[in-house]
Amino acid sequence: MQHPHDETRHRYSESLDATLRSTVELGALVLENVRRTTEALLENRLDLAHQVIEADDEIDEKYAALEHRVFEVMARQQPVAGDLRFLVAMTRILYEIERSGDLAVNCAKGLIRREGYSLSANVQSLLARMSRKAADLFSRGLDALADLDAEAGARLDEADDAVDDLVGELYSAIAQRSGDMGFDLAVELSRVGRYMERIADHAVNIAEHVTFIVTGSFPEEPAATKDEG
Amino acid sequence: MTIPDPRPETRRFEVGHSASIGASKSAEPVFDIDDLSVTYGDFRAVEGITLDIQPSEITAFIGPSGCGKTTVLRCFNRMNDLIESASVEGSIRYHGVNLYGPRIDPVEVRRRMGMVFQKPNPFPKSIYDNIAFGPRVAGHKGNLDDLVEESLTRAALWDEVSGKLAEPALALSGGQQQRLCIARAIATSPDVVLMDEPCSALDPIATLKIEELMLELKKDYTIVIVTHNMQQAARVSDRTAFFTVDVRAEGVRTGRLVEFDDTGVIFTNPREQSTEDYITGRFG
Ligand SMILES: Nc1ncnc2c1ncn2[C@@H]1O[C@H](COP(=O)(O)OP(=O)(O)O)[C@@H](O)[C@H]1O
Ligand SMILES: [Mg+2]
Repeated sequence: MQHPHDETRHRYSESLDATLRSTVELGALVLENVRRTTEALLENRLDLAHQVIEADDEIDEKYAALEHRVFEVMARQQPVAGDLRFLVAMTRILYEIERSGDLAVNCAKGLIRREGYSLSANVQSLLARMSRKAADLFSRGLDALADLDAEAGARLDEADDAVDDLVGELYSAIAQRSGDMGFDLAVELSRVGRYMERIADHAVNIAEHVTFIVTGSFPEEPAATKDEG
Repeated sequence: MTIPDPRPETRRFEVGHSASIGASKSAEPVFDIDDLSVTYGDFRAVEGITLDIQPSEITAFIGPSGCGKTTVLRCFNRMNDLIESASVEGSIRYHGVNLYGPRIDPVEVRRRMGMVFQKPNPFPKSIYDNIAFGPRVAGHKGNLDDLVEESLTRAALWDEVSGKLAEPALALSGGQQQRLCIARAIATSPDVVLMDEPCSALDPIATLKIEELMLELKKDYTIVIVTHNMQQAARVSDRTAFFTVDVRAEGVRTGRLVEFDDTGVIFTNPREQSTEDYITGRFG
């Protein structure tokens, strides 16, 4: 964030920097929770699933406080140009992060509802690859944010295809084995696939919002068309 | 009774008074104003003002012209005493002491409260003398050169004028003159700095410099600022008081306080519709 009167506006730019830092930190909490969820699913750990749900309370609180801060900076500092793009994008990015946290919680709740999963080796391996890929994408989205990396949007959009493919594979594996895994588990696992796919979508959106902050426009495909349903 | 002096020992030099009532506790307001009304002759300019001013905060007064912001500000340092027709009702406590009590010396009060006006008003003297004048009159015992340097430094002007202290103050730019007036106001080691539209005669860059300076000064002083520029209130103040003026059938206009709250609240979610209308520019 460049200011023509750097010295006189330094408190304001400090508050923008602090907002960015805190948002990345919030994202890191969510990333941790996505990873915890993955571990809970793969190792059938209900204790971890409960931890995921508990950790989300802190995430929600921090989200609300940060959103309020952005709101107040907008009201009090009359941001324009890059600062305005930054703050508007930050409200959206905060939303993407908070939603991702909720999706991790949804996965954890499913595991608890089922009192644990017993998975075939093939499904297990697909679930592992898909979830790790989604977490990896989310982590790269946060890196893009921390570095305000304008190029990351397009890169992540491409990388997201791998998650989509894995989710597709997971669906067919579930379909093939739905007879012996039972209807409820089949539905629950499909949901997990859907949630992980959406976490990856949120990661792409974050990176695309970063592109918007830096360049003033979104990479080819507008982020708003992602994450429907 | 003497006027309480909450300033640290090192910042006192005036002769002829001693400190009473303990140093400022941050929990105690600097000013506690209760049901204040001011009348000019038989015209009641403001009525029913109740608010408190907290130490080391910037409190902003905003509101349409004529709603009584200046009038209320002038009560804080008893400047209204200088206006023959003005009379003040209600109570203003300064660190717990009734500011309008019978034995309070208004000159002493004004010494505790630096004042900065809309139009920079340096004396037609040198830069140095503008700062040194007040302390000299007040019987400053220490080194005047040091005091001039310290005051100018605090007012973020030293770097620009250190090489030309003997030059006339009126040769400075408007923004520099206003910072000089701020330096002059703090040279007598006040507790409070009152500013009445201090930036309205300045360009945006000079304005931002003064705003930055205010944020710096609030560490050491309690600041009350009247501003018609609500963005300025939003940027710099901790709390904001919004005044309005009621017009009665006979055409009599009386100012009143509509809402007083944390600046963040006033500018994101004010309680009163009239505050919202004013700050969003929908004021009729
Ligand atoms: N010295 C004075 N004598 C008579 N009326 C005054 C005097 N000063 C201010 N007023 C009146 O008091 C009202 C409030 O004025 P003021 O405090 O200057 O408002 P503001 O600072 O909000 O513009 C106005 O109607 C104004 O005309
Ligand atoms: Mg006025």
